[in-house]
Amino acid sequence: MNHFFKLLNFEINRFIKIYASLLAIVIIIQTIGVAVVSNSFVNRANEMMMENRWTQEEFIKSNGKMSFSEFMNSFWFAGPIAIAATALIFYIFLIWYREWYGKNTFIYRLLMLPASRYSIYFAKALAIFLMVLGLVGVQILVLPLENELFKVIVPNALREVLAVKDLIYTNAITMVLIPSTFTQFLLHYSAGLMAVFTLFTAILMERSYRFKGIIFGVLYCAAVLALFSAPLFIAAMLDMGNMLYPMEFLMVEIVLGFIASVCSILIGHQLLTKKVSV
Amino acid sequence: MIEVKNLTKKFGRRRVLENVSFTAEKGQITCLIGINGVGKTTTLKAIMGLTPYKSGTILIDNEPISKQVYEKITFIPDAAIMPPSMTIGEALVFMQDFYSNWNNERALELLKFFNLKEEFRIAELSKGNTAKVNLLMGLAIDVDYILMDEPFSGIDIFSREQIANVFTSHLIEDRGVIITTHEINDIEHLIDKVILLDNGSVLKEFYTEEMRSQEGKSVIDVMREVYRA
Repeated sequence: MNHFFKLLNFEINRFIKIYASLLAIVIIIQTIGVAVVSNSFVNRANEMMMENRWTQEEFIKSNGKMSFSEFMNSFWFAGPIAIAATALIFYIFLIWYREWYGKNTFIYRLLMLPASRYSIYFAKALAIFLMVLGLVGVQILVLPLENELFKVIVPNALREVLAVKDLIYTNAITMVLIPSTFTQFLLHYSAGLMAVFTLFTAILMERSYRFKGIIFGVLYCAAVLALFSAPLFIAAMLDMGNMLYPMEFLMVEIVLGFIASVCSILIGHQLLTKKVSV
Repeated sequence: MIEVKNLTKKFGRRRVLENVSFTAEKGQITCLIGINGVGKTTTLKAIMGLTPYKSGTILIDNEPISKQVYEKITFIPDAAIMPPSMTIGEALVFMQDFYSNWNNERALELLKFFNLKEEFRIAELSKGNTAKVNLLMGLAIDVDYILMDEPFSGIDIFSREQIANVFTSHLIEDRGVIITTHEINDIEHLIDKVILLDNGSVLKEFYTEEMRSQEGKSVIDVMREVYRA
């Protein structure tokens, strides 16, 4: 266990500079975005009121008030999150491949450590998971501050005030990233972890069987996807849209996700112990 | 004792090792010799569990390789194996963190012995200094067996001399060493046992002292005989 935490700490430290840059990108772009979107609205409002000799009430009647959700539905909000998400997906591959293809072959040392190979596997998986949580955490912290900036720029009369909580649960991205209930949190993030384990197994298949491993990896990912979406397909094929109650459907998906994750972990460990080659 | 019994490995359809069997004792230097591609490095990697093999048995003091056994044996490969962003000092801390049998006193002694500095960055090391750092990382662990893959490869004569001096120093002491090298001249006088490999099989196995005293032949003489036959 001690080795696992040391490896986890080591994995996080190796990516910390790039990760900090990612967080900075999210914060800076979103902050600029709030300023740009809010100023653009205020400028447009002023221009229209001047051109049409409107009062604020007349402008609001014609155009409505601005809500912070307008910013949250813009590229300024979603763009940096997409950049960070893409970087983390890329990192799922990089976290393994850099050990073989970096300037130095660190996989020699990793595999020779007097630590269980599970520790290596889980340290990498948990490092990615913690980075995702960190990113979401920063987003939760930054959102109220961005909302405050929005309030500073847009005059009281022209803005619609919404609580941050309401803003989160009316936006498609934040609804996924910041689930409203603990059950949803478990579901969303377990599905994410399952995807990470599946990709790890596909990567280790490639590292073990090289060219053939790419085919095995793709087939394995397809099999997991098929397994996970089987209840939906079966219901559609049999034209039994209401075959299962939502709660039953959820339970089936949880069980299938659990099976897929355990399979991925066991296969991944087996490959890392018996098949992977330096 | 390291025991390799009937080790067989294939890369695709090509057989790289075929029924390779030998033993390496503690307190002895065993040298795996052969031309390029005969399976020397693959044998060392197989012993360390770094490459899978088709069949055969590898035992270290009668135990198969496991995380516990990694405390008994170390491998010094012919490649830089610590992250390039680390300094030597950070690499030493990393090793100390993971190996309960890390000997920091010996690590610092080796650092001085090789004229290396803790602040040197791994990415900026020359080939010779990389080999020395690898050696340092391997020798500073208190293990019973050390596997070395081409420690003299591609490095200048002075660094080679420095590395060869390690074998006669207290740094090796009574540990068991398996070494692969093409630079046989550098360490011929230090080797106890030789395993000659060709096409993935053991061609000949002998003790150097016996060969010298009974047949009057050096390792190079035997190599000429075997490989030119």
